[in-house]
Amino acid sequence: MRRVRYAELHALSNFTFLRGASHPEELVETAAALGYEALAITDECSMSGVVRAHMAAKDLGLKLIIGSELRLQSGRKLVVLAQNRSGYAALCRLITRARRAAEKGSYALTRSLFEEGLPDCIVLWVPDEALVLDVEDHWIRETFRDRLWIAVELLADGRQAKRLDALREIGRRLRLPLVASGDVHMHRRSRRVLQDTLTAIRKGVTVDQAGFLLYANGERHLRSLEVLQHFYPGELLQETVRIAASIDFSLDELRYEYPDEIVPAGDTPASYLRKLTERGMRERWPGGVSQKVMRLVEHELRLIAELRYEPYFLTVYDIVGFARSKGILCQGRGSAANSAVCFCLGITEVDPARMETLVERFISRERNEPPDIDVDFEHERREEVIQYIYAKYGRDRAALAATVITYRPRSALRDAGKALGLSDLQVGHLARSMQWWDGKRVDDSRVIEAGLDPGSPVIRRLLYLVSELIGFPRHLSQHVGGFVISNGPMSELVPIENAAMKERTVIQWEKDDLEDLGLLKVDVLGLGMLTAIRRSFDLIRAFDGRQYTLATVPAEDPVVYDMICEGDTMGVFQIESRAQMAMLPRLRPRCYYDLVIEVAIIRPGPIQGDMVHPYLRRRNGEEAVDYPSEEVKGVLQRTLGVPIFQEQVMALAVVAAGFTPGEADRLRRAMAAWKRRGGLGPFEDKLIDGMRQRGYSEEFARQIFRQIEGFGEYGFPESHSASFALLVYVSCWLKRHTPAAFTCALLNSQPMGFYAASQLVQDLRRHGVGVRGVDINRSSWDCSLEEGGDGAAVLRLGFRMVKGLSEETGQRIAARRGAGVYESTQQLLERTGLDRRELEALASAGALRALEGHRHRARWAVAGAEKPGGLFASMDRFEATPLLRKPTEGQDIVADYKSIGLTLERHPMYLVRHRLDRYRYVQAERLRDMPTGRAVNVAGLVITKQRPGTASGVTFVTLEDETGHINLVVWKHVAERDRAALLNARLMGVRGELQVESNVIHVIARKLVDHTPMLGDLEVRSRDFR
Amino acid sequence: MPVAAAKAERLWFCVYLPKLPLEACGPGNEALAVIEEQQGVHRVLLAGDSARAAGVLPGQSPNAALALMPTLELEERSVIREQQVLELLATWLEQFSSFVCIAGPDVLLLEIAGSLRLFDGLKSLRRQIATGLEAQGFEASLAIAPTPLAATWLARGRRRACIREPANVMAALRGLPLSCLDWPSTVLDSLAGMGITDLGDCLRLPREGFARRFGVKRLLQLDRALGRLPDPRNSWRAPERFCADFEMTEEQSDRESLLAICLELLRAHEQFLLARQLGTQRLLFTFFHLKAKATSLPLGGSRADRAADHWYELLRLRFEKLALPEPVIAIRLRGGTTQALHGASGRLAFHGQAPREHYYSMSQLAERLAARIGNESVHGINAVADHRPQYAWSTRDLFAAQAAEALTRVRQGIERPLWLLPEPELLSTDNGHPLHRGKLRFVSGPERLETGWWDEHGIARDYYTAVSPRGAGLWVFRNRDRQGGGEAAWYLHGIFG
Repeated sequence: MRRVRYAELHALSNFTFLRGASHPEELVETAAALGYEALAITDECSMSGVVRAHMAAKDLGLKLIIGSELRLQSGRKLVVLAQNRSGYAALCRLITRARRAAEKGSYALTRSLFEEGLPDCIVLWVPDEALVLDVEDHWIRETFRDRLWIAVELLADGRQAKRLDALREIGRRLRLPLVASGDVHMHRRSRRVLQDTLTAIRKGVTVDQAGFLLYANGERHLRSLEVLQHFYPGELLQETVRIAASIDFSLDELRYEYPDEIVPAGDTPASYLRKLTERGMRERWPGGVSQKVMRLVEHELRLIAELRYEPYFLTVYDIVGFARSKGILCQGRGSAANSAVCFCLGITEVDPARMETLVERFISRERNEPPDIDVDFEHERREEVIQYIYAKYGRDRAALAATVITYRPRSALRDAGKALGLSDLQVGHLARSMQWWDGKRVDDSRVIEAGLDPGSPVIRRLLYLVSELIGFPRHLSQHVGGFVISNGPMSELVPIENAAMKERTVIQWEKDDLEDLGLLKVDVLGLGMLTAIRRSFDLIRAFDGRQYTLATVPAEDPVVYDMICEGDTMGVFQIESRAQMAMLPRLRPRCYYDLVIEVAIIRPGPIQGDMVHPYLRRRNGEEAVDYPSEEVKGVLQRTLGVPIFQEQVMALAVVAAGFTPGEADRLRRAMAAWKRRGGLGPFEDKLIDGMRQRGYSEEFARQIFRQIEGFGEYGFPESHSASFALLVYVSCWLKRHTPAAFTCALLNSQPMGFYAASQLVQDLRRHGVGVRGVDINRSSWDCSLEEGGDGAAVLRLGFRMVKGLSEETGQRIAARRGAGVYESTQQLLERTGLDRRELEALASAGALRALEGHRHRARWAVAGAEKPGGLFASMDRFEATPLLRKPTEGQDIVADYKSIGLTLERHPMYLVRHRLDRYRYVQAERLRDMPTGRAVNVAGLVITKQRPGTASGVTFVTLEDETGHINLVVWKHVAERDRAALLNARLMGVRGELQVESNVIHVIARKLVDHTPMLGDLEVRSRDFR
Repeated sequence: MPVAAAKAERLWFCVYLPKLPLEACGPGNEALAVIEEQQGVHRVLLAGDSARAAGVLPGQSPNAALALMPTLELEERSVIREQQVLELLATWLEQFSSFVCIAGPDVLLLEIAGSLRLFDGLKSLRRQIATGLEAQGFEASLAIAPTPLAATWLARGRRRACIREPANVMAALRGLPLSCLDWPSTVLDSLAGMGITDLGDCLRLPREGFARRFGVKRLLQLDRALGRLPDPRNSWRAPERFCADFEMTEEQSDRESLLAICLELLRAHEQFLLARQLGTQRLLFTFFHLKAKATSLPLGGSRADRAADHWYELLRLRFEKLALPEPVIAIRLRGGTTQALHGASGRLAFHGQAPREHYYSMSQLAERLAARIGNESVHGINAVADHRPQYAWSTRDLFAAQAAEALTRVRQGIERPLWLLPEPELLSTDNGHPLHRGKLRFVSGPERLETGWWDEHGIARDYYTAVSPRGAGLWVFRNRDRQGGGEAAWYLHGIFG
């Protein structure tokens, strides 16, 4: 028998959310294995899955056809296939218009959208079950006439013979050709279980209620050629191949064209970039440019020209230029950002002279990957930058990349559980056991622990479905800041759809898709610390006239490093977490590059890969540094032989295991995703074999692979660390030299960082800076600086600290006060029109002290306040004034915490200390004078709890007493035994053992006690991190 | 002998049940936590003893609670269930006082001034109630005071107070924290912000200023608690069911006369329900005889109704066929469980003048049919939306509460035999070809059905329509999952008419 040939022209991947039940890659692989001539990916009104399919098809040499299934508003179903680039553009345009006309996640296809036709597209018409033709069908016939086929989809429903006859009859009547297609929803039959489940999830019913919403069978998979031959007449199968042959389009044809407007008339991108760079060079080095820098810049410009990346640098330059003109602080990071050219263009402030090691590796010629520049902007002003980009390039040419939200174990469990009819509570039980999900299965013992029977069929089905569902896309969300800007209309490159946020649109591809196709994007990100730094600069200038920028903060100041080495870093960028603080006295950073390492090393990746301690030992000279080879030495020398940065891991793969740069890049991406998608498999063998062949020991190879695995999604690139380190240094300098301004800026930029306002303020006061309370006659909306008795700056808390007061109100109070003061509550009310709730908020915060005396009286006064113009406003009221007790210190502290989250009175521990005496608790500051190993009892407010995934079962708790912080290490057995105290206590007592190592103090907890009832009404909230 | 208290004096006994949400879940609630949804998230409301010992606290998320106690049972709070328990307790308390009222979601009040002598004095009464509540598994806080509010607040304050003299109320209330009042938290916060945390502080505030800040209503409430203003309460009574007997002076066997008496009873029943805005779905007539066992005649409707005419029509149909062993000496009519009746009340209000309906609705038709041939013989047929033939239709009890609407979609053009075998029948085969009185000829197919994997009755079959040599249209299938390899077996599943 002659072998049949077939091309599947109608296939949905799981990017037709909650319909398609296979990944695009699975479809491609199966189609190739079955010997199909071609495969069309035709997701419903979407191009989201095509790049993945394209990459897979390229690897396997399968012809991939790009198309889309479209349902018209009349209910008619079409499958549109792009014949060439212009057909693809027309289809993308159509999808964009249909998507933009509807709510996020849906689309609306009316006839009017087809007015310009669909040139260079082939259209398959999938008639519905009824087969009764009306005017709409004739319209379809007329609109697409010579490019229209009737799709014959025979799916073993018992009526295939009748249907074939009927369609043939229609074809004869309308003079339309017929073609076979499969309405494919999955790559193989066994996925029907998942497909049914997806349907039930989509419709919000359980599978056993879903009834005829489900397909009767699993025929909608990629069927073998033998089976197809059995179902379809040969000529219909042959027709698929003819259609496939008439299609000549690949996503490789998409060429990215840069916007024109970044280059002024008369210049080429190359000449303009050179001009700007040279100008920047003169500004950066007014005293003359060294030969070394000149050579470097020349080298970079040559490379950029060779790869034709000038427009990309110019685009970023333009955006950064806008931010600068508006006084928005920004800073670039990423491989290309740390180039000398970017330093000259002002995209980064990291002087390449400071960072000799980086510049050579900023663009890889061999990899031909697009350069990577992310730009961080002040988080509160990023929106201005985004609006600028939209305004400059237009919404049809600038768009945000998408992020595909995929099923995670918990969400998969929730949705699959619901589809199987489990109750929320049952699912909740199991969700807890998801912490032990290893990507494939859940341990039976965990299921039993959750009170469920792992042997029960329902649970078995559920766990199976969950394992299949994980990693399935659920919907598109917008990427945090990945912008794509095109020269022509974006909608001819990729469809655009509405995002959840109003006035926002996203393209249907995500970051990796863009990279795969070699398209460029600019990441416009928001960073809280930049906001805080800019505010600090502003506050300093307003207070004493000193002017600073990122570039002019004095570099390498030893007293700043002294402070860092002591771990006195609360509030600064990156190195303020407890783990970082504990590391600083051991690592003892003394220069900028030490900070680069510090930023990268205290991360889950290096910690899991066990790189921290070897590095510390080598740095302290306790361990010899040796390298298995010269090549490895070249890669690892700057980190003493320990791989810390992502770049080093990739370079190791190249020099030690013989990866090509392209393969190393694939390894990087697999690293980022292996936990989600599973499988470093092929890389593992290649890496270990490659290293063994090059004479490295198996042990060394295994160790490197373990480190790569540990890196996972957390491996941090040196190029980012370098930019972050600058912000670390600047924030530390500010904290050391202008603590009042720095803390003030941090408070005004909340929420950000690791610590609550209360800790920041206490830290400031411990450093001897005065802090003043919220005052109706002195505060502004923001916290501000006032001159203290000795002329030094003190911090005045602003109305923003007051719970229940809006910014608009706070601004109004300050504005209407003008240069004067409010003399009474009544006057305040008359001038500002505050409502009673707002007045109560002020009274509760103690802000009315100047007008009414103590809080109790203020509350009485405002509770009776009447709005001007109110019913009783004009009546003189002679109201008896009650005798109200003055609040006790305890009441004031409680009220302070409740309203502004901190107190300027004594620490709450003073209130309970006498009651705690019998437990013999030691204060935090006294721990410093005690020897390691000593048994101690400590107590304090619980301010943070953290259970990092990296430290197996350890919970880190930070307590705060009136003298400082106490760091607890709670091992798993203690946590389990005293879990009620660990979970509930706001005031915790601890019996434990002191552990001191290079000035880092921990208390290893032996027993936890909950003293919360002693606090009464005090509201202290712990910040809990995972 | 002391002078008896003035006649108008009242004494209130308050039963406050702080753990009612938990206790309403029934006994064995030590390892139980009641959770309640607040602003979209579930929180623990109350926890049983062993749960509390494990650290489960009100306000925790269910997950946190489960982390503390993996064996913890969680139960969603049900206000209805609590109300039912309160009603049961109110009924029980009626033995101690003719005046019991439900004064809140967890508060019961008894007026006991008149009961003291009956129950041997206050101490004894209090002991009896306390013991009784404890025996029924309730933790209660009890307080006695001359005003209902004072008694309630004292009970909530867990003061085992027993105040008999109105003059002593003020002193007793003074020390109570304001949280014993059921004032909203905004008011309590505001007062707390002024340093006012107990009733004594509150009562010292200037009346006008207090009223302006917190409302006249709250001021009056304080006055009521102190007995300065009257505080009338409504007594609670158990909901009634209609039950009436008609006793005849002599035995009656004339059916029309008996029906006439029944109609009288039905009219009384209607009046009873009308006054209470209730209806019922079931009635029971009992005909008593002198010697023979009584004959009962239950009537059921498909929806709640109270109209005498409606019930009478149903009665007539059933009564025709009712065999009475002897003449009747008395008739009793007992109404079924009542339920609130909405909507149709308009028609009842204009009873007699409303236009007669000239058609039978589906439900009326079903009632009539059932009345003629008995409830057991009339079923509804549900078209069940399921691809599996064995589930394609099912029966349901017509008079059961309306089942949730199944997702039904009419499937067109599907060939299904009307006669489906209860169990598929194994066919013999010849060379893999099915036989049924000869070799079968396939007419159409396959229709592939692969579904139902979610329960224990999933199928994966290819169905064919076939014709036997004798011309019978048969519906046959073969399983797609071949266990142990080899040829798949063929089954006959239905016969076309």
